[in-house]
Amino acid sequence: MSDRTTLDWTAEPDSPVPPPTWGRRAPEAQVLPWVFVPLVGFLLLGNFLLSPHLTAPALRTWSTIFVAICVQAIPFLVFGVALSAAITAFVPPSFWTRVLPRRPYAAVPVADVAGLVLPGCECASVPVASGLMARGVTPAAALAFLLASPAVNPVVLVATAVAFPGQPLMVVGRFAASLIVAVLVGWIWQLLGRPGRLRIPSRTAREGESRWASFLSAMRHDFLHAGGFLVVGGLTAATLNVVVPRSWLLSVGDIPWLSVLVLAVLAVILSICSEADAFVAASLTAFSPTAKLAFLVVGPMVDLKLIALQAGTFGRAFAVRFVPLTFTVAVLVSVLVGWVLL
Amino acid sequence: MGAPVNRMAQSLVMTLLGGAILRVSALSTIYLNYVKPGFRPLLIAAGLVIFALGVLGLVQEWRKPYTPKAQAGTEHESEEKHRHGPRVAWLLCLPVVAIFLITPPALGSFAAERDDTPQPRPSAPEAYGVLARDRPAVMPLGEFIGRAWGDANRSLVDRQVKLTGFAVHSKQKGQWYLTRMQLRCCAADAFPLKVTVLGVPAPRDDTWVEVTGTWVPTPYDQLPKGTVAPEMRATAVAKVKQPDEPYE
Repeated sequence: MSDRTTLDWTAEPDSPVPPPTWGRRAPEAQVLPWVFVPLVGFLLLGNFLLSPHLTAPALRTWSTIFVAICVQAIPFLVFGVALSAAITAFVPPSFWTRVLPRRPYAAVPVADVAGLVLPGCECASVPVASGLMARGVTPAAALAFLLASPAVNPVVLVATAVAFPGQPLMVVGRFAASLIVAVLVGWIWQLLGRPGRLRIPSRTAREGESRWASFLSAMRHDFLHAGGFLVVGGLTAATLNVVVPRSWLLSVGDIPWLSVLVLAVLAVILSICSEADAFVAASLTAFSPTAKLAFLVVGPMVDLKLIALQAGTFGRAFAVRFVPLTFTVAVLVSVLVGWVLL
Repeated sequence: MGAPVNRMAQSLVMTLLGGAILRVSALSTIYLNYVKPGFRPLLIAAGLVIFALGVLGLVQEWRKPYTPKAQAGTEHESEEKHRHGPRVAWLLCLPVVAIFLITPPALGSFAAERDDTPQPRPSAPEAYGVLARDRPAVMPLGEFIGRAWGDANRSLVDRQVKLTGFAVHSKQKGQWYLTRMQLRCCAADAFPLKVTVLGVPAPRDDTWVEVTGTWVPTPYDQLPKGTVAPEMRATAVAKVKQPDEPYE
């Protein structure tokens, strides 16, 4: 590519006229100002002309919730994407083979406990897990990390303790149930999952690219990819939030087994960040503690924006198996832990 | 969903998204309609990172030398494939468009009305401080509800209070709700705090008002299960501007 730079002309002083490439930019670059200027103009003008007219209450509520989900998740997504890009660009693969046990069944619980140290919510964990897999970590172990880290990190546990004052067992229950679910799902995936179901993102640095360049390009690619799927999840969650009256779901609080299922489904629909879901659970006063525990365990592992992110990152064939598996195990374990502890 | 996103479009999307995030967080207080105030530094940092990545990409694209397609050959094609991003990235334009065209406002009466989640009630009565006798006490709606429901000192009895919120109509005649949404993390988890106002005509829905009045006592243990709002007999209602921080 370098023999086509604009300086080429000086290399052939005999040539009577400048070659056709002289002073020309790449075709994309020529279009750039023509796309950029009208687009920004349209957005700024639209802000003044259109926004006073788009006032239907349902549309406004929907758009507020949609934008709120995106705005709230994007900092965590950026953090997760940066961490994932750093893992692939700066940490050599040999590091993981040294740190993690060789045998997959032993690696799963280790990765599970490693979830303790990543302070963030579920949006950060998907790109990090995919970065781990790209670096040769056993998929089952990376999946255990994916499930555990949003639920058991210190920030989330403190938030849970604040939301349930005087009920330390709720924190213990959440911690224990989340760890158990992550290990079980990791093992089941190791046992039953076939290679090919899971699309492992390959990320090999291109030749001649510096570490920083590959860090930046991995970060850009992952952010655009995961961000797009985050928007899909945000759209679905906002729509269900506005369309489905919550009173339908909440009228069944008195039936024990049904209330557990209903709160688990509610956790999937609401797609609340794992750092905030404890407060929402605490406000659902009509439900039993076990049902609230199910809400807290299912929420960080399965919700609409996560499903979209996982399907996008690991492939649809993976998501249709992994999501129901996680949901079932999470509900069963919460019932069991709730029965023992609460 | 359109063509695969080439490098320039990718950078453009990221620049716009970063710009939109900076617009709502660094350049204005619009972000308070969506998230808690403490979120601002995180949003500004994320906005700057995205914006910088986008601008960096645009600059690289702008300075890229011209390469005629004919001479690029097969090697160039694989390179080209690598440079194309995922199509789903186009969707990142949606929040940008929503932020600029709709500028979603704070949640109002529509959300407050359809959400009948029972309000969290304090599990044990708390002891609140004493209120001044000579002037109306200004307090958040949440504190008023807390004092009304479970205050061992019954500090609200015979005290004038001043509350700020927006109006939501009630199905029962002669009363309306003074409402404020409470956030835990973002607007998706907002739920309404409501106080029933008696004795003054209802303002239009979504009007922000400051209501002065006194609490109508209800014994805590006689409250029914489920959603119930404490009552207040109002003496004065004044229209106010929507506060910068619309949530509690």
